[in-house]
Amino acid sequence: MKQKPLRERRQEPPQESAGQLIWLVGAVLLATLPHAPFVHPWIPLMVVAISASRLWLAFNRKRLPSAWLRVPLTLLAFTGILLTYRQISGVDAGSSLLLVMVAMKLLETRGHRDRAIVVFICYFLLFAAFLREQAPWAPFYLAIAVLAATTALLQTARRDQPIRAGRALWLAGRIVLQAVPLMILLFVLFPRVPGPFWSLPQRGGQATTGLSDSMSPGDITELALSDKVAFRVRFDDDIPRGASLYWRGPVLAQFNGRSWSMRARSYLPGLVDKVDRNGDSITYDITLEPNNQHWLLALETPVYWSAQRSTLTSTFALASFSPLDRRLSYTATSIVSGTTPGNMPDRARAADTYLPDGSNPRTRDWARMLRSRHETDRGFLSAILDTFRNQPYFYTLTPGVLGAQSVDEFLFSTREGFCGHYASAFAVLARAVGIPARVVTGYQGGELNPLGNYWIVRQSDAHAWVEVWLDGRWERIDPTAAVAPERIEWGMDVAIDRGSVGGAAALRGSAFAEQLLLSWDAVNTAWNRWVLAFGPDSQTDLLSRIGIPEPSTRHLILALTIGMALCLAWIWWLQQQRQAPRRDALAGLYRLLCQRTARAARPRRPDEGPTEYARAIAARRPDLATEVQRLFGAYARLRYDGPADSRRVARFREQVRAFRPAATPPADSPA
Amino acid sequence: MVAVLRNTATRWGERARAWAAKRQGIDPQRLELESRRVYILPTRAGLIFAVIVFTMLLGAMNYNNNMGFALTFLLTGIGIVSIHHCHHNLTGLLLQAVAASPVFAGDDLRFRFTLENPGRDARWQLKLGWDGGPTQVTELEPGERSTVNVPLPTQQRGRIKLPRVRVSTQFPLGLFQAWSWINMDLHGLAYPQPAARASGSSTGAPGRHDRGRDTAGDDDYSGMRDWREGDPPRRIAWKVMARTGQKLISEYEGGAPMPRWIDWDSEPTGDDEERVSRLARRVLDADEGGWEYGLRMPGGQVAPGVGPDHRHRCLELLALHGQRDTDA
Repeated sequence: MKQKPLRERRQEPPQESAGQLIWLVGAVLLATLPHAPFVHPWIPLMVVAISASRLWLAFNRKRLPSAWLRVPLTLLAFTGILLTYRQISGVDAGSSLLLVMVAMKLLETRGHRDRAIVVFICYFLLFAAFLREQAPWAPFYLAIAVLAATTALLQTARRDQPIRAGRALWLAGRIVLQAVPLMILLFVLFPRVPGPFWSLPQRGGQATTGLSDSMSPGDITELALSDKVAFRVRFDDDIPRGASLYWRGPVLAQFNGRSWSMRARSYLPGLVDKVDRNGDSITYDITLEPNNQHWLLALETPVYWSAQRSTLTSTFALASFSPLDRRLSYTATSIVSGTTPGNMPDRARAADTYLPDGSNPRTRDWARMLRSRHETDRGFLSAILDTFRNQPYFYTLTPGVLGAQSVDEFLFSTREGFCGHYASAFAVLARAVGIPARVVTGYQGGELNPLGNYWIVRQSDAHAWVEVWLDGRWERIDPTAAVAPERIEWGMDVAIDRGSVGGAAALRGSAFAEQLLLSWDAVNTAWNRWVLAFGPDSQTDLLSRIGIPEPSTRHLILALTIGMALCLAWIWWLQQQRQAPRRDALAGLYRLLCQRTARAARPRRPDEGPTEYARAIAARRPDLATEVQRLFGAYARLRYDGPADSRRVARFREQVRAFRPAATPPADSPA
Repeated sequence: MVAVLRNTATRWGERARAWAAKRQGIDPQRLELESRRVYILPTRAGLIFAVIVFTMLLGAMNYNNNMGFALTFLLTGIGIVSIHHCHHNLTGLLLQAVAASPVFAGDDLRFRFTLENPGRDARWQLKLGWDGGPTQVTELEPGERSTVNVPLPTQQRGRIKLPRVRVSTQFPLGLFQAWSWINMDLHGLAYPQPAARASGSSTGAPGRHDRGRDTAGDDDYSGMRDWREGDPPRRIAWKVMARTGQKLISEYEGGAPMPRWIDWDSEPTGDDEERVSRLARRVLDADEGGWEYGLRMPGGQVAPGVGPDHRHRCLELLALHGQRDTDA
């Protein structure tokens, strides 16, 4: 064993060594990087400049800047943030503040605690980055950045020179790795509470696209140009044909002559129980992108849905009580074989056939004329569809501008429109002859991602159709299907000229790029589905799957405690293994050897060395002398001649095991 | 306010120390730091860390941000794991104290502690020092042993008990501090500070660092005799020894026959400390002079003799004069 030179008393150096600082600066830069594209460029530039000058100061053994420089600099930076963002809340302004703080703290790292605080701010910066983006690669970046920051923390905890990089990474990496099981345990079992405690700051007032509570001519066109994903669907078993994928959103039953809007939402308790469940049902999982609206999309007619804090409105649309400001996953079951028959009270009939006085007079006249030519309502409605199909009506994303009598203008002069125009016109025509009708908006179709076996429904799949009351039940009629059947069968890309959509949709045209995009979307979806969408519901679901039927917070805490205890015991055991004295095979063999000679002659005295003891045994038991001398000699050589190689130890082990002296000397031997 | 807090903290600290001392008892001179005697608490940085992680948790819950949860829980895990690592940085450490050799009051008693790492992991940033005093840092590779000198300043003569020793570490992350208190029944001895030379001392002998040997009464060389235990080494006839291998002592007239007694009663003036101090000076001078001398004190006496052991016995008797456990 080496003897270290005596160390003299010394004080903690006032500043850290440059080596420790490199780690610190590295951690700061890694924490800054994810913010760099989002905050104003001067902020990351400032962080880099201050880091560089701090390193320069350390390498040239210069003094740190005094408070006379630091305080004005900090105030200046804070003023800069105020001028840039005009606020201090919000993710961008908040992370800018943190970046300024970490840079300024870097200029006054005097003691261990200052340096530790720099690392803590780095951790917080990483956290802030996730408020902005949680991409599938985030965990990898998280792992790297946390490892670097933890290593920096470990280096700062030392008083003088840093530990060698590889060794320090191993020390910190071991801690991080051992923390991973605890993290997973906490992630899965920590009781999740639904709902925000305080209102969420909106990021820069960005409007989110999505369905709205009203529809004017041309509204859906905006959506159709958006390539953003609205939601993703995974079906439990058979995937229905594209034609029947009508995802119902807001139901618009109120018409003012130009635009359709929603009635005040009304909820009928027990409505869901009245649905006839004898038809074909289909179950699917939906992951809805946040859209700040209330609508949960579902196929007609939902009878089960797992989303909490939501209900079925009287128009059989699913609505959430609070706006969807985050991604939401839910499972739903719908009866798809048709709606439930019922009766319509007179008041409801009056409301659903209402048209404002004097609106669209030509349309109403024409409707009455057409109705008189047909015997049944059904015949009348299919005559309208025939008209759309056979007359020169066009399906386009760029219809002409419509005035106050929008339906008149559309039907009799412009004759070109989008799904919204056709739905609106059809509903007005039906109402004109007293058939209750309403416009339903939602999404239709979608794109199958064969890699993940799920459907991607984009904003461009937004659609509008009509429901009419026929034979005592609501029936879906899609007038767009008459004019542009390919829109329904193949989706938007086929229905309209590709060039006019452009962008990502055009890119989707190339087979290879499409494959790539679909793969990336599959990864993203798996990530969203399994990690990001994990919440109170999925927690409950998971626990009931592993045999805790109705998990309460108490169950969670109990499971968490047990799991943590197991984890900690494991880590304790690991550490115990590493810190325990080395098991010394040779010492064990020597003990065994001495036990055997003790029986044959006398025990070894604690102060006796192997040579001495062997001589004593040999004197007492001359019959064993040769063997004893040989064994003890071998032990002494193994023990004291430098490091013993394992083969020699193995041979010694065999010899010791084979050595079984009799307790008493043989009778014929000289005593 | 701060003072009140500090007082409370001190009071609690005292209680904790008393409690620890009671459950640990007196420690042997060589001991292993078992886990039951290694205590651990968060440092101030650790508390800040906890606050930050808790803030993150609130944020993650509010935004229902799963990556935020992941980071929060990873940091929680890192904090918890670092408790183990910090604790294990100390447990299993072997510590042995080496008694300090006596010094004169006013000098530092130099206690030595040998730390040994029997484990397979290096131990980093081990701080050792008297409880509440400055610490020294040492680091041990697996199997390595290192000695730390811990000086203990002395002011008064007498037997000085080894203060409570504190071994601590904040490694790896500085979020926690693990420590162990060690109460060993080990003493150091501070000799009385000798009085200044020639203040009425009758000998007029040279200083104790002076290696000259011409002292009055030693002049007349009278031959050689065999070496006996206690003979001053500078009287060994080294040249003869080098030639013949025999250890002989040069005999001088006037040294051997009349042992001198250094007597408490011969220093009647001044208080006890001054008298002890003057007697210590006379012991040193006599020792320097190579004379045979004895010491008579009210509590006991040392029979005449020579040599370092003899000198030690005399100084020890002086050091312990008037102190309760004069078991010398």
